[in-house]
Parts: sequence; structure tokens; C-alpha cells
Amino acid sequence: MNRDTVNVFFLWLVLTALGEFVILGTDLFSYPIVGAEEGHVVDDAFFFLTALAVPVAAFVLSMLGYAFIRFRVSGPDEDGPPVKMHRSWAIFWLLWTTGLTLFVIVHPGITGILEIRHLGSGEPDLVVETEGSRWYWTINYPDGVTVKTFEEDAEMVLPVDSHVKFEVTSTDVLHAFWVPAFRMKVDAVPGLVTTISATTIGLGNYRDDPQYRLQCAELCGLLHNGMDVPVRVVSVAEFDAWLAEKAVTAA
Amino acid sequence: MSFISPFRFVIRALVFATIGFIIGSLLASLITGATGEPAEEPMLALGYAGALIGWLLGIGVWDVWAREWIGLQPRSLNAQSWHQYFRFSTDHKVIGTQYLVTFVVVLLLAGFLAMVLRVELAQPGIAFLSDQNYNTVMSLHGIMMIAVAVATIIGGFANFGVPLLIGADDVAFPRINALSYWIIPPVAILLLLTPLFGGFDTGWTAYPPLSTLGSSGTLLFLLAFLTFGLSSILGGLNFLATIVFLRAPGMGWSRMPIFVWSVFCAALISLTATQFVAAGLLMVMLDRVVGMGFFDSNRGGDALLFEHIFWFYSHPAVYIMILPAFGILLEVLSHFARKPVYAYRWVVASMFSIVLISFIVWAHHLYTSGMPDFLHIPFMVTTELISIPTGVIFLSALGIIWRGRLWLTTPMLFALAVVFNFLIGGITGIFLADVPTDIHLQDTYFVVAHFHYTIMGGEIFAIMAGIYYWYPKITGRMYNERQGRLHFWWMFISYNATFLPMFWTGVWGMNRRVADYTDNLADLNLIITGISFVMGASFLLFVYNMVSSSIRGPVAEANPWRARTLEWQTSSPPPEENFTTPPQVVGDPYDYGVPDSVHAVVSPSGGSSDGPAEGADRGA
Ligand SMILES: [Cu+2]
Ligand SMILES: [Cu+2]
Repeated sequence: MNRDTVNVFFLWLVLTALGEFVILGTDLFSYPIVGAEEGHVVDDAFFFLTALAVPVAAFVLSMLGYAFIRFRVSGPDEDGPPVKMHRSWAIFWLLWTTGLTLFVIVHPGITGILEIRHLGSGEPDLVVETEGSRWYWTINYPDGVTVKTFEEDAEMVLPVDSHVKFEVTSTDVLHAFWVPAFRMKVDAVPGLVTTISATTIGLGNYRDDPQYRLQCAELCGLLHNGMDVPVRVVSVAEFDAWLAEKAVTAA
Repeated sequence: MSFISPFRFVIRALVFATIGFIIGSLLASLITGATGEPAEEPMLALGYAGALIGWLLGIGVWDVWAREWIGLQPRSLNAQSWHQYFRFSTDHKVIGTQYLVTFVVVLLLAGFLAMVLRVELAQPGIAFLSDQNYNTVMSLHGIMMIAVAVATIIGGFANFGVPLLIGADDVAFPRINALSYWIIPPVAILLLLTPLFGGFDTGWTAYPPLSTLGSSGTLLFLLAFLTFGLSSILGGLNFLATIVFLRAPGMGWSRMPIFVWSVFCAALISLTATQFVAAGLLMVMLDRVVGMGFFDSNRGGDALLFEHIFWFYSHPAVYIMILPAFGILLEVLSHFARKPVYAYRWVVASMFSIVLISFIVWAHHLYTSGMPDFLHIPFMVTTELISIPTGVIFLSALGIIWRGRLWLTTPMLFALAVVFNFLIGGITGIFLADVPTDIHLQDTYFVVAHFHYTIMGGEIFAIMAGIYYWYPKITGRMYNERQGRLHFWWMFISYNATFLPMFWTGVWGMNRRVADYTDNLADLNLIITGISFVMGASFLLFVYNMVSSSIRGPVAEANPWRARTLEWQTSSPPPEENFTTPPQVVGDPYDYGVPDSVHAVVSPSGGSSDGPAEGADRGA
């Protein structure tokens, strides 16, 4: 092995260690508050991909940076070595990129999908129908309780530690149902009911953290950016009381 | 009169367009008036069709082409004067330059719109743009940049460069070539008119039902997009034929410059995929204008259908953008590292793999659209497989520069930056291809950051490399190298500082296409806005260098880079027929460091000496 190769190898090790330290040891790569079991699956996948990306990026950057500093010349007077390729290096490259790609397809790709599906299977504790219209949401709870988000102090209230299933649709154009704290998103499509689940963990309130909001995430025209509503996750007892009170008002 | 005469074809075209518009809209008012009140949108649509035909006839299709159809003698509008840039010239170098200048102007305009968006986004709340205006500016920025990304390389560099690089005297279909350019100005005019017709708020993706509602600005946008697609199809057809049939004697497929390969692959996609988006847009237009209801669920239509049709084109389309950028990248790296293109055959195979796979990944844009769940895994698999051939491009780029003789001119700096930027763009693409992470990241600023890293950091940086690299060949003058390098560092640093933080705003809950956002993201957005203005200012230096050098720059030699490919073996700028005698290709284009190797025998147009041209015999 020649000196350049050895140098780059060590540069790669140093950069990789540095990168992994930033990810593991600093809060540069921290995530927003998580309010649903599904959110942990998403964050874990994100973390895993980031950690895996570090040695790959470090390798390209080492070669790029080293070549930039070490191999510069001031003019076109001399040619480099006429190397067209190293067969074994190219095959090695193909093998590791293929291996890594297949690996991330399986994990966190397929495993993550299955995990999220598993969390969403089974009988939900609560079904909430959410209907997007320009530019508000109509949230239908059991017992005939309806919240329209253009009303004064409208909010989407949900019980904690519950498997909530959202049935989403639209009355006009495409919208999207997104609660950043849950990391869950699905489009609201006219003529179609799409579903998404969130298994809530921990109490949460928009007033404390803006990740607790139902946000329209698909461009729907004029007031798209204002099509959001606070989300509040409360204890089951509190939720039942809230629902009962609303049901009385509705009746 | 002398002031008007250079523009007389443009003026004639505008007059013909007006007549065409009147005829078309009268026809539409007759048709719609027969059963009720004459309707506005059919009149606009048919009027535009008439105007487009009038415009093309007026700009020179009549003289160069249509006279033939009625038995008259056609006449060429080519001339050795700058006047020919304002009419239907069929010289590929003129057309290439028209494309480049047009799209650099569009790039600057769309960049200016981005600055307007950034001012609005500096702080939460609505600052000065109304919601409607924000959406219009955002949508215009999007579609204009998409046009720049699709057409600058394929229309500009490929037109100027491919015939020269393969030793041909022009493209296969010069008149179709001129047609594909002159279709573009009506597109620009339509887009600039949209604000007068109420703007449009659909983004460049034009999803119905939104795009079937709203003001007539949306119709103008749809017509513009459709027309632009037509130009793209014609361009693709032309380059395939040119590359297959017009290569100089001796230029076998394995001696073809890598940029030509990349254009070939991109042209394959242009020719075969663009029809889908055109059909989709036409269906939206029929929904709007005559109420057919393809995408209206109340009448048996399906809103999701459009997303499939749209991305069936628009995912491959990103490879129309990025493949030729890879071509420029490897081309520039090879010449300025003075080493062969590493793993040349693998690179070509990878480009073809990318073309093939790009057709079966489209639904990764639909993970959260409500399409059936079982489609998630297959589309995730195909999408992530693309990273394997893309990895081969990195293998080649790093292989070229490794132990090379890196001459860090402005084009070389931009090419190296493409590797850096696309590394970030490629890796973050995995997060979006991966279903679990995409469910959160879809439609957030993470996506905005990702595609600005691939399209701007990858392709626009490659376009910059190409502009500086071929500038002396195109203009016959040398740009200012010090200003060029200053532009590079200025743009490279401010670009990264602008777009890197957007990954964070996305993860932290900022959705895209909004004028307003939650307060927790205020600081980061203020920083982004501040630095984005520093980046915007770097383009002023670029424009100054380009304009002033084209007037006062030192006269360029035939081959200032001592590069081996054919375009450098003729004068700068090349004569009308490109080479005084047809070149004879006898070896590989990239054999730097190989003793006595020769790429081609060209008799120099300067007429100073015979034998292999300068640069072709280096290493002897
Ligand atoms: Cu909406
Ligand atoms: Cu895509």
C-alpha cells in the first residue's frame, strides 16, 4: 500500500469517529418530542440511517478532500497515470454498495414498515374521522361530537396510551393529515377514505410544543398554510369527560 | 429602420401570434356559444393554440420550412451576424447559445423569486405577500427552475457540444432543433402572464382537483407546461438520431465522450416519458375547460390517478436533469485531473441502469398518498436500488481524481463541488426512499433541502462547471479566472449554509409550500434568509464576469485547457461547419498519460500545421 492510500484510510477513520461522535454525543441530531409509538419507529429508522451514512460520507469526503489538497498542480503540463480502472477495486465497490443497499431495504425499511403496520393492526380504542375542506378540518368523534377547526378555540383532543385510528378524507381538493409529534401522515383524498394510526404515549399540548398540531401537509390553495389546529393529548378520564361534555352541547 | 431590422422576425412573429390568437378564440367562442354563453377558458386555450402556430410561422418556420409544403422554395435564415439569434436559425451552435442565454436569464429570474420567498419566510406570520401571491411566486419559482433544470444542459450544452464532441457538422434534424427552441419563448410569456390572470397556486406539480379550480392563471400555467413538454420530446428525438447517425468516422461507441453518453441516456427519457405528463396535463385541462371529470370523484374520476401519471414522467425527469450533469462532471474531472474517465464502461452501464430503473420508482412520491399499502415495499426496493448505479458514478469520480494532476480552475472547482453536494443529496435521498422515515418527512422542508441538494447542488453546479468550461469555445473569449474562483467559493459556501439547515427545519415540523410556520423555527429561518441573500449576490459577480468577459476578455485559443476531446481541436468559436475537414477518430478521448496516443486527426482550422491537433498528441 502506498502512502496516499494509508493516509486516506486514517483520515476516513478519524472522520467516521468524529461523525459518529456528533450523532451520539451531541444534541445536534436530536429529534422533536414524540407523542406516539409509531414516532419511535420513525426516529429509530432515522437514527439508524444517519449512523450508517457517516462512514459512507466520511469515505467520499476523505478521498475528495485528500485529493484536493495533495494532488493539486498549477497547470496542465503533466498528465496523471493512465489508470482506466482497477478491476478488483471496482468489484469491491459494487459489492459493498449493493450489500449496504440491500441491508437498508430490509432494515430499517421493511422492518419499520412491518412494525408500523403491526402497531396499527388490531381493534382501535378510538376511531376519529377527519375530513379536510378548504381550509379547515372537520373532526368527527363517536357520540356525534364534531369539531370544526375554524370555530373559536378548536382543538383535536385525544386520549393517552390509546390506539387511535384516523379515517381521513376530503370534500374538495387534496389535503394531508399530519401530526409532527406522531410522525404520521396520510393524504386526504376526495372520494377515498385513507387511514392512519397513532398509539399515543405521554400527555402533550400544542401550547407547550408546536409539534402537537394537526397540520395540512399537501398544498391545497389559498390558506393552506393556516390549515392547522392544536392537538392535546389528555388522560383517558379527562378525554371521556371532554367527550361527554361535548356530546351534551351537541345534543 | 436599422434598429428594427434585427428584430423584424420577432415583430412579425408577435403580429402573427396576435392574429392566431384572434382566430383561435373566435373559433372557441363559436363552438361554446352554440350551446350557451361563450366561455372564457376555451377561448384562452384555443386562442393560445392559434397564437403558438402564428408565433412559430412568424419567427421563421414559414421561410425555412412551410414554404416547402405549398411548393415554394424554402430559404435559410442562418447568417454570420448576431441578427440570426433573433430568428429561426438552424445552426446548432446558435440554438445552443440561445438556449443557454435564455435559461440563464430564467435561472436569474426564478432565483430572484426565491429571494422574495425568503423575505416572506424570514419570520413567522405573513409579512408582506398575501397568501395568493406567496403561492403564485412559489409556484412560478418551482416551474421556472424545473424548466432550467430540464433544458439548460440538454438544450444548451448538448446542442452546442454534442455535434462538436462527436465530430459532426450539425444535428440530425436542424429544423426540428430550431423548432424545439422557438417553442420556449411562448412558455416564458405564458408564465409571466399568469399573475395578470389571478396567478396560480398549485405548485409545479399541478395536482388536481386543485388545478381544475381557481383562476385562469392555472390554465396558462398548464398550457405552458404542456408546450414545454413538446419542446423536450423534440429535443430528445433529435439527440438520439444525431448520436446514432452522425458520429465522425472512427468514433465507435466505446470512444464516445462520456458527456455524449449522458445526453443519449437523458434523451431516451425525454423522448419516452414526457408523453405521460403531457397526457396528464391535457386531462387536467379537459377537466377544467370542458368539464370532463377525469379526476373528479363526484363524476367517477380519481384524484389519485394524476399523481401516478405525473410521477411516471417526473421521476425519470430528474434523471433528464442529473444524468447529463454526471456527464459534465466526469468530463471536466477527467480533463482537469489529466486522467482517463475511471471505469468508463461501468459508468455507461450504470447510466443505462439508471434510465431503466427510473421508470419503476415513481410511486415513492406516493407513500403517503393513500395508495394501497402493499405497494410500499416494492417501490421502496426499486428506489433504493438506484443508489447502486449512482454509486458507480462516485466510484468513477473518485477514481479519476485519485493521484491525478488536479488543475483547480473554476470549472474543476465546480465539478468537485458537485461530488460534495450530490453526496449529501444522495444520502438524504435514502431517508426519503425509506418508507418509515418518509411518512414523517414527506412534504416537509427535508424534501426541499434534499432536491435543492441534488438539482441545485448537483445539476446547477454542474451547469456552472459547463459554462466556465465551454465559455472560451462558445464566446471565443476567456472569462476572468480570479472572478470565477471567487464566484465559486462565494456560491459554494453560501449555498451549503442556506440549504443544510433546511433538513433541520423539515425534521422539526416545517411543511413545505407555506408562507407561515411555527415560532420554534423562527431563528433558523432568519439565518437561512440572511445567508440566502449572500448566495443570491454571488450570481451578480457571475453575470458581471460573463458579460464583461464576452466584451473585453482576452481572445481565447482553440484549446486553452489542452483537453483531448474534439470540440477543442477546432477554433474558438468554431466555424459554421465546425471543422474545416471532417475529423478522423483514431483513439480514446481520455488517454491522458498514454504515450503517443491520439484521439483524432483533425486538420486545424487555423491552417497552421498538419497532423494531429494540439492536445491530441500529448504524452508523447
Ligand atoms: Cu389543506
Ligand atoms: Cu422521484
